[in-house]
Amino acid sequence: MLDRIVLSRRQNIPWHLRSATFIAGLALGLGISCLILLAAGVSFDDIVDDLITQVFFTADGLAQTATQAAPLILVGLSSAASAKVRFWNIGLEGQVWWGAIAATWIGLDAPGWLPWRLPLLLLISAAAGAIWILLPLWLKLRYRVSEVVLTLLLTNVAFLSVQYLLFGRWKDPATGFPVSPMIDPAARLAQLGWGSVHAGLILAAVIAVMLWVLFDRTRFGFYAAAVGLNTDAALASGLPVVSAVTCCVLMSGALSGLAGGVIVAGTEYHLTTFIADNYTFSGITIAFLARFSPLGVVAAALAVSGMYTAGGTLKVFYSLSEATVVLIEGVILMSLLLARFFSLYRIDLTHWRAVR
Amino acid sequence: MIAVAVPDREGGVALALHRVSKSFDGRKVLDDARFAVRWGEVHALLGENGAGKSTIMNVATGVYIADTGVTEIDGVATRIASPIEASRHGIGMVHQHFRLVNRFTVAENILLAAGPEAGIRNLDQAARLVAAKGSEVGLGIDPAARVCDLSVAERQRVEILKVLILGARIVILDEPTAVLSDQEATSLLRFTRGLADTGHAVVLITHKLREVVGHSDRVTVMRGGRTVLADCPTTGLDEAELARQMIGERVAPLRHLEAHPGAPRLVVRDLTVARADGGKGVDGLSLELRGGEILGIAGVGGNGQQQLADCLIGLATASRGEIQLMGRPVVAASVAARRGGGLRMIPSDRFASGLIGDMSVAENLAMTHLAGRYSRWKGFLARGRMRRDARAAITTFNIAGATPERRARLLSGGNAQKLLLSREVDSELTVLVAHSPTRGLDVKACQFVHGAIQDSVAAGAACLLISDDLEEILSLSTRIAVMSRGRLVGEFPAREATAEKLGLLMMNHA
Repeated sequence: MLDRIVLSRRQNIPWHLRSATFIAGLALGLGISCLILLAAGVSFDDIVDDLITQVFFTADGLAQTATQAAPLILVGLSSAASAKVRFWNIGLEGQVWWGAIAATWIGLDAPGWLPWRLPLLLLISAAAGAIWILLPLWLKLRYRVSEVVLTLLLTNVAFLSVQYLLFGRWKDPATGFPVSPMIDPAARLAQLGWGSVHAGLILAAVIAVMLWVLFDRTRFGFYAAAVGLNTDAALASGLPVVSAVTCCVLMSGALSGLAGGVIVAGTEYHLTTFIADNYTFSGITIAFLARFSPLGVVAAALAVSGMYTAGGTLKVFYSLSEATVVLIEGVILMSLLLARFFSLYRIDLTHWRAVR
Repeated sequence: MIAVAVPDREGGVALALHRVSKSFDGRKVLDDARFAVRWGEVHALLGENGAGKSTIMNVATGVYIADTGVTEIDGVATRIASPIEASRHGIGMVHQHFRLVNRFTVAENILLAAGPEAGIRNLDQAARLVAAKGSEVGLGIDPAARVCDLSVAERQRVEILKVLILGARIVILDEPTAVLSDQEATSLLRFTRGLADTGHAVVLITHKLREVVGHSDRVTVMRGGRTVLADCPTTGLDEAELARQMIGERVAPLRHLEAHPGAPRLVVRDLTVARADGGKGVDGLSLELRGGEILGIAGVGGNGQQQLADCLIGLATASRGEIQLMGRPVVAASVAARRGGGLRMIPSDRFASGLIGDMSVAENLAMTHLAGRYSRWKGFLARGRMRRDARAAITTFNIAGATPERRARLLSGGNAQKLLLSREVDSELTVLVAHSPTRGLDVKACQFVHGAIQDSVAAGAACLLISDDLEEILSLSTRIAVMSRGRLVGEFPAREATAEKLGLLMMNHA
């Protein structure tokens, strides 16, 4: 009987419908998550008091969310920038790793004049990320090699490079653990005096606004959009397709690299083998939730970051398994994507009723 | 349902739709429409783009479910809610856009689409059935050939066989000749006649008048979602009368443009362009095009026309030869540089390489002049100016259904082409390369496109008209050449050319 239900695509989606479905999706996700938590033995009072209040209504919880959000915004922007021109950068983590390596290098060797150290660190980490995506970009443009496979596999190469450095040159001399020494204090991002929130959050927000202006208001943004929506038409109209793709993809690599730099200079202060974990997944998820809009990325990154904070709390205080936490995160994300579907399509039940 | 089903109710009504209405997202596309086809006849369903022809047939085949209305098969009211149900009732439709898996063979496609319904269990059986059915109805095709290696006409045969193998006795063909050359179209129309003679009911959706008069028994005309002329025998109807019914007013005959050739604007010498598969698309072609003339290039599709157009605009690289635009060599120049010299293009597929469907009307109009007219300080876009100019273009070119903010994809075929023309036929135009500029358009939109091309040429531009529609070539060109296997094989002034002469050249060299 399912063939009596008709889905019709909406041509114009009003903003209030978009927000309403987003909120409904979030509510549905949270609702199901509550049921999972109840089933896992967490009492309802605890869910309300410890989890929701802790994470979303206390200064500490919010500060933690904001701190985590800085690199998440950057990887989200990175994913969105390349997706604009239909280049699927599935190697965000590889670029984050190289950004982190570059940042650690500058932070440890501390070359140059003191006040320039932090800007230099951020610049070099962005450059490292951009360089790491050069090869897939060139192969794609020159020989049409799939960037999906290349960027994904290069992530492993980047991670092996990190291990090579951490088990070799940068091994902690005292303990022998694969952890680099702490970087020079002058190369760290300033704390803002609210939890461990650092200047990287401001940097990420400013970059998001700049990208919004770039993509929404300038000629370059138009070229990128045209290439993404119909490359053949862009070529036939004489638009600079290759330069638009090159710029967007290098920008994507640089933003992920910068995320690595911000993680090292803002929160970790040293290189370890887990600091870039999960950033590919998070970045792509955030970019899709935001529909590749730079300002949307900020909102989506904050939401995802809040979800991670809540997940951390669950793991620590209720000793829930990692699997349960990931399950809850997945449920929330799927509900949000489902909500998007229902804002795109209208469900027509008239034929259903006609049959009955 | 593999057995040849010859219906015994010769002459009775096979399929009838009464009082059908259908809306999409609040827009009414069928408004109390009706249609009926009898056993043993070819019934033409005529109408402009957007008249509702395809929609009402999609209702008959269960692709769409009508809001109101009744479908009758053999006089019995029947509810058809899906294409599978339609095929069980013996209704099959060949859609305009083929539904084949390109990398599969013919037999694999048949197995995939008809397997369970037609009781085909394996590939051998499918292959045998394709061969048997093909020779029975005269549509021979190699069951082991991959669809991607077949020509468009051969793919269409596969689609028709698919429908017949599924047991269709009522066969609906949606604009089947739109993708075919004149010769291929003639042989297809002959095939439909044979199908009707064996008792099938054939519906021929079309907007080509001559297909109605010469090749069908009865015609139904739709306009704006309504049936304006139902079930009318085609004997005794003339084309002008049908056209009047179709567009609701008399069609003005095309005025012929007198040639006043000026200085050479586009000179091509010994041009050779490779095909994607390595073969030669264009093979040592030379031509000269002057201001004030329309050089029509006739030919069966697939003889290098696409490669010639791509190479002229700068999308394909020439392996040999030279191109001069306004006296300057441009064979190595970029698309942008050529456009800077006033070269403009109307591609054969407007939403593939002309317009960006998901961008707004204003953005589509502005995209070729972003670096100049529509940029402000530091590369910021002059959105206000884009909108104002778009509003002006919509009024001047009378683009129905368009606002500056509306997505181009939502425009109908004719109006999308108007949008493209209003961008390409601008004040800087020197040479216009028009590749099948009216493919898939209705009479009114064709007239508009032809008028716009003639106006620009009368104002001094040069036009290279590449088309496989002979009528278009003959009525529009001031000089005509025939293209075959990558080169020009004959050239006449327009007044000396006739369809027979051109057809002979096309066939002798094909």
